[in-house]
Amino acid sequence: MGVPRDKIDWCPEIDYDKCDYCMECDEFCPHRVFERRDGEERKLVVANPTNCVVFCRACGKTCGPDALSFPDKKETTALIKKLREELVQDG
Amino acid sequence: MGNEKYAILPCNGMDKEAGALARETALRLSARQAGEIVCPVLYHRSAKKYGKLLESSPLLVIDGCRTACASNLAKESGARITRRLNITDYLKGRGIKPGKSLELSTELLDETHRILEELLETDSEEGKAAIAADFTAPLEYETFTQDKYIFRVPRQGFLFNENDCWARVDGTRARIGISDFVQNSASDFLFFEPPQVGAAIEQFGEAGSLESTKTALDIISPFSGTVVAVNAELAEAPETINGDPYEKGWAVELELADFEGERELLMDCPSYLGYLKKKVEREFHKKERE
Ligand code: SF4
Ligand code: SF4
Repeated sequence: MGVPRDKIDWCPEIDYDKCDYCMECDEFCPHRVFERRDGEERKLVVANPTNCVVFCRACGKTCGPDALSFPDKKETTALIKKLREELVQDG
Repeated sequence: MGNEKYAILPCNGMDKEAGALARETALRLSARQAGEIVCPVLYHRSAKKYGKLLESSPLLVIDGCRTACASNLAKESGARITRRLNITDYLKGRGIKPGKSLELSTELLDETHRILEELLETDSEEGKAAIAADFTAPLEYETFTQDKYIFRVPRQGFLFNENDCWARVDGTRARIGISDFVQNSASDFLFFEPPQVGAAIEQFGEAGSLESTKTALDIISPFSGTVVAVNAELAEAPETINGDPYEKGWAVELELADFEGERELLMDCPSYLGYLKKKVEREFHKKERE
């Protein structure tokens, strides 16, 4: 995208009121975005948000209780474009 | 065009100036022994008449306007178009707006020289740019292997997003599909759920979905636009994508909404090849560790 990945806010967010820790999402995603925390109350966390592929929403489909949500696509696209322009201006 | 002789199917040229120019271009090409003309009216009446010619020669279609009767005629009778030229688009690129008159002005007749030169001069980059690539033009690929997998990426003419989906642009249209990487990792596709024709799709929005023996995934559109066609063949044979993800395995055709504004967020072929190599290496190292 021509913008440092850590400037782009894109990753799944887990709604802990809905999540039943089935771990389908973690099993699905090949990018080590999630991490399991055995013995803790929140047994699954988004540990590596910048590993998530921008605009991917694939794990969301695997989630039965619909506990995963993503940022707004349009806003993210607009943000990336803005950041790109700033980078160009700064040389 | 090289030394190959074409079967040339032009617009019949009886409706508008651009059509008349299409007809004129075809006549001159044939006078220069560059090909043999297929009369659109006779072809429409009896495609059989040209069966032999079309079997042995590549087909060049010259459309006058965007209605593209000649292209549609060829498609309807199942002919494979090798090369396509749209006079209206060509003239637009030259800053000329054709009118209604069927008698060609000297200005337009001058243009025919230019078109002929560009058509006959295969090596000129300018010529290639002026005559838009067709979706059916044959592709060349870069390949690399990792373990038992072979990955292919076209050499040029495609744009990719980081979600491993591609767009092949021709004028204001683009075909959308998935890359060899997705195809390899998903294994055999069983089902393609296309978007509605006429639906508006956002950049990075969903343009249909796929299910394979291993997984389900969305096609993430590199561009925004309106769905003008979906690949009907995939309903019968979704595994076409596995065999040929960049050509026969295209999924959706879009009328683009903002090509210039959106392309900057995409990768060209060499960039995607680099991106893909890194990604594949990472995944295979990970597998080794596990
Ligand atoms: S959106 Fe895609 S990359 Fe991100 S966590 Fe989910 S599956 Fe992984
Ligand atoms: S798939 Fe959904 S319910 Fe299952 S662990 Fe992931 S977020 Fe929780």
